[in-house]
Amino acid sequence: MTVAVLGGPTRARTFSLQRQYALLGMLLIAPTILVFCAVIVYPLIYAIYLSLFSIYTPTLQGHWVGLDNFRQMFGSGEFWTTLQTNVIWTVGTLTLQVVFGVGTALLLNQNIWFRSLARSLVLFPYFVSTVVAVLVWRWMFNDVYGILNHVLLQAGVVDLPVDWLGRMPNAMASVILIGAWKYFPFVVIAVLARLQTIPPQLYEAATIDGAGVWGRFWDVTLPQLREVLVVIVLLRTIWDFKEFDLIYLLTGGGPVTSTQTLPLLVYKQAFGLNAMGTASTYAIGMLLVLLTFMALYLSRVGHEKEQT
Amino acid sequence: MTEHGTKSVGATIVAWTVVLATIFPLLWMAITSIKPQQELFRMPPMFLPENVTLEHYRNLLENTPFLKYFGHSLVIATSTTLLVVVLGVFGAYSLVRFSYPGRERIALVVLSTYLLPSVVLVLPLYLMMVKVGVANTLLSLVIAYTTFSLPYALWLLRAFMASAPEDLEWAALVDGASRLGAFVDVVLPQALPGIISTAVFTFIVGWNEYFYALILVNSDSARPLTTGVMNMLITSFNIEWSLLMAASVMMSLPLIVIFVFLQSHLTRGFAASGVKG
Repeated sequence: MTVAVLGGPTRARTFSLQRQYALLGMLLIAPTILVFCAVIVYPLIYAIYLSLFSIYTPTLQGHWVGLDNFRQMFGSGEFWTTLQTNVIWTVGTLTLQVVFGVGTALLLNQNIWFRSLARSLVLFPYFVSTVVAVLVWRWMFNDVYGILNHVLLQAGVVDLPVDWLGRMPNAMASVILIGAWKYFPFVVIAVLARLQTIPPQLYEAATIDGAGVWGRFWDVTLPQLREVLVVIVLLRTIWDFKEFDLIYLLTGGGPVTSTQTLPLLVYKQAFGLNAMGTASTYAIGMLLVLLTFMALYLSRVGHEKEQT
Repeated sequence: MTEHGTKSVGATIVAWTVVLATIFPLLWMAITSIKPQQELFRMPPMFLPENVTLEHYRNLLENTPFLKYFGHSLVIATSTTLLVVVLGVFGAYSLVRFSYPGRERIALVVLSTYLLPSVVLVLPLYLMMVKVGVANTLLSLVIAYTTFSLPYALWLLRAFMASAPEDLEWAALVDGASRLGAFVDVVLPQALPGIISTAVFTFIVGWNEYFYALILVNSDSARPLTTGVMNMLITSFNIEWSLLMAASVMMSLPLIVIFVFLQSHLTRGFAASGVKG
């Protein structure tokens, strides 16, 4: 309706106004695009270019090796074992995040006392710096004075203090658990937002049909959550897969390489083994693995936009 | 599922047990930071301190470079936020309210860079910083943080601006306002809550960032809190946990301030960040 008013006296004027607007629009986005190209697009192309070189990190001198880096990467056992570790970490922590996340969201959707306070407190682990999270957990994991070992010893669950991070499979389990603790609030918020939009009539109808709490969850809640859960899982898969800080600061990839994921391997190649070219190859290799999930997410979100 | 009006006691107990268990590590951090050293190593450990002390905070502020790192983090996170929000507001406004060739494609590129792992970009960025001569400066981190905050901010702001009604802007235009006049008088005030949410998010992410800081800055003259505090852990002979817990609490201060005053903006940012179902 308003556009019709804007249509103005003559078509020629409208036309030139539209061109002016288009120009203004491009002018407004231009700085963003410039920065984008300088700090994202160019480095991305540069990263691919680097992966074709052999570069010694301290001097940054190197020479062209073509696809040799890739041949070595795919031929080496280290890439595949690291990928395997990466998958174990991602699947483990993501599963716990979704289970805890959905469970907590369902609880916080109930009519409880101080609900909004509970909802904001539960977000804290997600927003706290990974450095803070790691320091706190390492203090709680302390073998002599840590609270966790103390409680477990007291309760008689264990006879000796547990070495949480220094041996396997404890290290992987600890990292997965702390990852779940740190990131499950993300699932809580997203699921909670969706839960609030489920029409109560659906539950009423299910109750009349004789569905219990469990039945209502399976027949009403879960189907309604399906869409948002798919998006959450895709996003978190990408984010958990590329996680560096948490694992590096908790175990450094150890013991030996048992918790070493691809981002840690890239870091080790570049600054531990001084092979910057090879490191870039591993980074690109990791990106290739992630590409599937990125494409799935993009098609999902693009698809949703068309609907609305 | 919820009974209207009546609070459920059972659900309250279960829910609050979960919430308290979730934040227990953070409570433990705060408690440890105010315990005197000798109580820290008492067996069995006490939950609440017998005597409260602030000596660890004083030690932290007087005998460590903590305040310097704090300043660096403040400068980096604030500059990144300002840069990204200004660019993002204009960019998002352009993407939402103007039509020109290539617009949809730009939006798609923005979304895909939002998913790009830092580990891919960090090595070229490192080489670029060395080449341009800004390695080991605060500026290098502002540039690096733009790589993940700009796509994110654009995406958030785009969602916020798309949800604001267009009518008011058109009305202002009909009344003879210029496009930029309408932007300042109508669009900006409408988008303000979204802008605040975006700024809060960008600030927190910049404040918490560790990976780029680890690789790009290798001197105390530009080190932010995250790598700085980890350095305090690595370089000390015996780990002073109470000092580190005090540092952790201090490091979380901006976050606590945001939670107290701007909590609704955080939740709103979530809703717009591409997970809405």
